[in-house]
Amino acid sequence: MIFWVWVFGLIYAGLLVFASLRSYKKNRSSEEFMMAGSNIGLTLGVLTFAAALFSTFTFLGMPDFFRINGVAAWIFLAVSDGAMVFLLLWFGYHIRMKVKGMEFRGVAGLISRCYENRLAGYVFFLSSFLFLIPYVGIQIQGIAIFMDAAFPGSFPAWGWSAGIVLIMLVYSEIGGLKAIIFSDAIQGLLLLGVIWIIGWACLSHFGGIGPMFDKIGTVQEDLLSSPGPQGLLTPQFLFASLIAILMIPVTQPQFTTRIVVMKSMKTMQLMAVSLGAFAILVILPTIFIGMYGADLYSEYGRDEFFANAFLYDQPDAVAALAIIGLIAAGLSTTNAQIFALGSELRGLLRGNENSIMTKTKIGIFVFSVIAFFFSIIVIDQLVLLARVSFAGTGIMGPMIILGILSNRKVSPAIIYLSLTGLIIFLLSLGGWIPDMYFDIRLDLILFITLGIAAVISHLTGTKRQLIRPKTNE
Amino acid sequence: MEKKRLYWRICCVAAIILSIITFTPLVIPQGVSKPELGGVPYSLWTSFVITVLLVILTYIGTRVHPGMQNEEEDL
Repeated sequence: MIFWVWVFGLIYAGLLVFASLRSYKKNRSSEEFMMAGSNIGLTLGVLTFAAALFSTFTFLGMPDFFRINGVAAWIFLAVSDGAMVFLLLWFGYHIRMKVKGMEFRGVAGLISRCYENRLAGYVFFLSSFLFLIPYVGIQIQGIAIFMDAAFPGSFPAWGWSAGIVLIMLVYSEIGGLKAIIFSDAIQGLLLLGVIWIIGWACLSHFGGIGPMFDKIGTVQEDLLSSPGPQGLLTPQFLFASLIAILMIPVTQPQFTTRIVVMKSMKTMQLMAVSLGAFAILVILPTIFIGMYGADLYSEYGRDEFFANAFLYDQPDAVAALAIIGLIAAGLSTTNAQIFALGSELRGLLRGNENSIMTKTKIGIFVFSVIAFFFSIIVIDQLVLLARVSFAGTGIMGPMIILGILSNRKVSPAIIYLSLTGLIIFLLSLGGWIPDMYFDIRLDLILFITLGIAAVISHLTGTKRQLIRPKTNE
Repeated sequence: MEKKRLYWRICCVAAIILSIITFTPLVIPQGVSKPELGGVPYSLWTSFVITVLLVILTYIGTRVHPGMQNEEEDL
């Protein structure tokens, strides 16, 4: 296997170096560095959005989620993604119209301008920081666990994590957002190819889709229906997850940025459709891998399942591809998230452009270091931590949608309510307050309450006076 | 333009209805895996169909979205 890891690893590294050098320009402006010149075409747009969205969370987390919770996991992610691409069409149009003719400097900066209140930007930045960093951390950890299984005893897990963070930093420093988008394109294709090769091998183990579910029915029948053996996938959990995932393009800055930097409205819209098709193609084989795990490794822990299904049971070349595919999947998402946090920080800074860029780059470095420490200490299921990340940033959804859509001068109350919602959600995550009230999940209560507050704010807002620009007669 | 607006609204309503019925016993009856389709459990094939329909609706949405015309006019 080592031979194949070297072969695929060198090809992958070569493509990354090529992409970063192609993106590098000596005297590039900060706009080019942070926003890729806002000129991304359809293919790159689809692949970069997909690579940022489908990460180790999909590659490793979803097979494990299917293995433990059964087929309703499809609703958790695929149906939610299907609805999300439709929302992307609607929200993408509005945010692009909003930023038309102005320099887009991240969602935090935009939302501060919409509310004419800098607190809105700070609250948004806080939620992004709090919920993206642990998510980045657990993805780095996922790669480290996998590498440890592939090369036991060669490096400690933190050594792998440090290496990944270092590659991420060097790469984004050389090429900026454009390099990240190019590398996403490579990584998106690699992820799709590898997950299908492994998924197909797992499906062949059963001899087809029908025999696969027949077998699983005899092993653990609960896996074939909702809520699954653990009782997790209830309608309420799935519905709250839908809202959290729907809010991804609105509240996770790495996606909002990608919507804005698309070349045209038409390209953005076609990107949404293609992304929906990509989501189906990527999630489908994770069912096969999950069912394979349920059949052979139902008693095993997460790490043993990953090691067996992705490495030890596969031919050497496929196992090597899995390693490279996983690095690609993790690197593209973590890169996108850390860079987006830097971009958001830039939108909040004031002063000379050179000093802002220096502070932004220092910010990206600091975020990476914090994510590295998280990767050492965080222990959780990939999918559930990802869901917490989506829900945590999703709390900001009503505030952002109101700010972008409303043509009225609205009260800043929604900003304070969103901050309160964020604190309440954090308290429940810390176990200081319950996460269920009257049998309703707290995240669902927060989404509904803030949604209603946003509607009331809009209805009670005062209409803005349109001032016609003076013209020379 | 008015027709486009109407079609767009129909798409939005259809997407909302599809999303909501996913969380009803129509798609996820608790603890029930039959009737199967080609050996695929009930909740999986129905939700797969819903996902595909949502993507198709998104495609139709790109054709009828009234904003596209606005952008062309702006240009």
